Amino acid sequence: MPRWAMVTDLRKCVACEACTAACNAEWNVPAGFARTHVKPTGVAGTFPQLTSTAYVAQCNHCDHPPCIDVCPSGATFRQDDGIVKVDRELCIGCGYCVAACPYDARFVDPVAKKVDKCDFCAARLARGQQPACVTTCTANAKHFGDLEDPTSDVHRMVYLEGARRIETADVAVGPNVYYLGRPEHLDLVAATFPPHEPRFLAAGEAWRRLAKPLVIAAVSATFAGQAIAFFTQLRKGEEDFED
Amino acid sequence: MSGRISRRAFLGTVAAAGAGTLVPGAAGAGQAKPQGWSGRERVERIATLCEMCFWRCGVLASVADGRLVRVEGNPDHPLNRGRLCARGNAGVDLVHDPDRLKYPMLRTGKRGEGQFKRVTWNEALDYLAGRLKDLREKHGPESVAFFPHGIHARFFGTLMKAYGTPNSAEPSFAQCRGPRDVGYQLTFGSGLGSPEPVDLAETKLVVLIGSHIGENVFTSQVQAFAEGLGKGAKLIAVDPRFSTAASKADWWLPIKPGTDIALLLAWMNVLIAENLCDAEYLKQHANGFDALAAHVREFTPEWAAAITDIPADTIRETARAMGEAKPAVVVHPGRHTTWYGDDTQRARAMAILTALLGAWGRPGGIFLGTPIEQGSFEHPDFPESERGRADGAGTTFPLASEEGGVTNGLVDATLTGEPYPIKAWIVYGQNVLESIPQPLRTRQALEKLDLFVVVDVMPMEQIRYADLVLPEATYLERYDPPVFAATAKTPFVALRQPAIPPMHESKPGWWIAKELAHRLELDAFFPWASPDEHLARVVEPLGINMLELRNKGAIALPGRPYLEDRVAAGETLFETDSGRIELVSETLRGLGADPLPRYTPPAGPPEGFFRLLYGRAPVHSFARSENNRLLNGLMSENAVWMHTAPAKALGLKDGDKVVLENTDGHRSTPIRVHVTEGIRTDCVYMAHGFGNRSKAMHRAYGRGASDTSLMSKVAVDPLMGGTGMRVNFVRPVKPATS
Repeated sequence: MPRWAMVTDLRKCVACEACTAACNAEWNVPAGFARTHVKPTGVAGTFPQLTSTAYVAQCNHCDHPPCIDVCPSGATFRQDDGIVKVDRELCIGCGYCVAACPYDARFVDPVAKKVDKCDFCAARLARGQQPACVTTCTANAKHFGDLEDPTSDVHRMVYLEGARRIETADVAVGPNVYYLGRPEHLDLVAATFPPHEPRFLAAGEAWRRLAKPLVIAAVSATFAGQAIAFFTQLRKGEEDFED
Repeated sequence: MSGRISRRAFLGTVAAAGAGTLVPGAAGAGQAKPQGWSGRERVERIATLCEMCFWRCGVLASVADGRLVRVEGNPDHPLNRGRLCARGNAGVDLVHDPDRLKYPMLRTGKRGEGQFKRVTWNEALDYLAGRLKDLREKHGPESVAFFPHGIHARFFGTLMKAYGTPNSAEPSFAQCRGPRDVGYQLTFGSGLGSPEPVDLAETKLVVLIGSHIGENVFTSQVQAFAEGLGKGAKLIAVDPRFSTAASKADWWLPIKPGTDIALLLAWMNVLIAENLCDAEYLKQHANGFDALAAHVREFTPEWAAAITDIPADTIRETARAMGEAKPAVVVHPGRHTTWYGDDTQRARAMAILTALLGAWGRPGGIFLGTPIEQGSFEHPDFPESERGRADGAGTTFPLASEEGGVTNGLVDATLTGEPYPIKAWIVYGQNVLESIPQPLRTRQALEKLDLFVVVDVMPMEQIRYADLVLPEATYLERYDPPVFAATAKTPFVALRQPAIPPMHESKPGWWIAKELAHRLELDAFFPWASPDEHLARVVEPLGINMLELRNKGAIALPGRPYLEDRVAAGETLFETDSGRIELVSETLRGLGADPLPRYTPPAGPPEGFFRLLYGRAPVHSFARSENNRLLNGLMSENAVWMHTAPAKALGLKDGDKVVLENTDGHRSTPIRVHVTEGIRTDCVYMAHGFGNRSKAMHRAYGRGASDTSLMSKVAVDPLMGGTGMRVNFVRPVKPATS
């Protein structure tokens, strides 16, 4: 089982937003929203001694994702390969996970009324393709692969070249998105965009205790139908995917 | 399961075969309802060329059930190698833009009111042919001026030549690359062309003078730039603003705007004084070294420091870095180079610096283009104009290219009637109110015309003045003349072919030109029946497989990028008069101009005003893409950068809205202030292309401000006619309504 990870090399990244555009086009994301963002840090220092860079933000597919804990409908789940996904059929668009995400990587799609976020282009991976942002990156700054594979770029970058996660002492939930760059640039990113404590956790838990049975009742009929369809498709899919 | 092809194996085959194949798009397992285009059942992929900007990257256009669903980079294209910028990825949203020009329109109201009636193509083309015949009879064919942009305008360009007008001018010359290409031509005997032949991937040192790679995105150039930096290349960024490139630089030189030539002369001074030049290369290839050495002796780093605000030590240190890295130094020649009116001389200084480092034609420096043979059709000779050109190319502006022309020269001729009256404009694939400075003069010229025709995809502001508007198909819906990219490191021929039929009533440029030619009895200049026949003939000399070209979209050709390749083949190395690099330009001396570049100080900002600088945003192209759904979502308006100190003095906070006013009292639409340490105190900066004034473009209208609207002054380059545009000064005034 692979352990997927993304490494963005900020030494190369020119903040051109090709990744955001490719992702938006690939996933039909409504204008003004994005599954991956390029956020400029702004300029630090005093003219002419200046530093600036950009934070390429996306879902970190954390080892301990707070978004899963707060989801009342079970729509957010983590696959064995580490990819954190949202099942759009189960999502009720409540936005608890949006608030919980320490990286602000989620949003409620205003058209579909469902939560959306980066899923490492799982559908493309299934077709043997790289994520859309990686494929299009004009600076070849984004690298995606299996951390467990010692021949992969991401393995080398994380274990040999010291790619960093954006974490704090308080918020360390095991992100699987890493960054390479000049130390001052990585420090600036970490200082400008620190992950925040998961918000609404307590409220979410309370809500969940009260409402979960109701929600489950409400979605169970749909879910039963979906489950049948899903397993039928999965069986068919297994045949299709046989190599 | 024997006999069945697995999906993965099938996809592999598809990838190898390239375009024109049916690909099953799969919804990921576990995703009950497909999201995004890739959920479609069957997808056809067509290899073609991007035109969200003019770099000509290869794309694969995916079509599902007859609908264009996705445009991605084409891995088989030698230029962008599968990668694509934000704009390229947004191609689908251009095609589906609800504000597109959909059918031909004829003016009904007064000029400037923008009142039109819908007409058929027959009506439109009969009308245009009738007016053109009339103009030719009454005022001569030269009275019609043509303003093209892009390869798709070439068919119409042929028509204009056949009709008999020499008056064709593109802003890509007099508002963009002109001075650069002239300056390098004078020095090395050849210009640079597009894509720029800069060996960024192999270089040891990049010198950017005002170039903002990263904010200015040409996919292959960014790739090579990042690759070079990744391999350890050093970077010197000369820019009054802390650009994205400057944030990656080893040396950021926040130069006083307009003093670049002083810095360049001081760099030459250090290289020569400290024996850091490539002496052997210069001895072998260059004329005029001793005269240059004498010329720059007085231009010491101390002299330049007082002018440029760059410390003398930094000038020495950066010059030494160049000397150390030579010849693998890219002094980037830039692209938009019409700044201060002495731009040909600045380009000369950059070319001379390149020569001193031995970097022209050397690995890691500037590589050389490889000419590609093209096939052509036999047709009658184009009529010779007795009256000559009206734009001054070759006369008033002796070094202006006749191919590029002088747009502003045509504006002048239209306004003054000199050297003879211009009565009609045909504007093709550009918005002259944004692409040419002094828009008030352009508007006055438009109002004076007997006939103004626009061929375009979007209803830009200029159509308000148009008598006839012809909706062209987008680049994803049409065939264009193939691209022969001679100045790419791997030269190639590439094809633009339709992924879908033209939407609405739009038509491809080749069809428009051919139909009009027929009505003007000029069919003999278009001796081909179809795009297929045209393509087959023009690529014939290359002996390539047509099926491969159609499927892959591009075919790489062998390149000879370095001087050593030419020496081996016994070729002419420098096509100057002397056959050598001309450090001293006898051509310029003959024209009464400085044979060696000199620094002349530009006028500074009056009290309370800031020099207006402008540049590109990575997600937009000129003023063309701001209405695009996806790109507008990424950046819907621009901001004006102002340094913290003057902003504080003016009581402005980050995000405040202001109106900018220039020294002639011209005012911009409201624009937000971006307060930052990352710019000098004597200038402000904004991205070009915003402040759209066309109500027919619903997303872009009224967002941000137009830099062009504040360019009421230009400094014209006497050698090639280019309009220096960094000579305008603005001050913020608070908007009345806030």
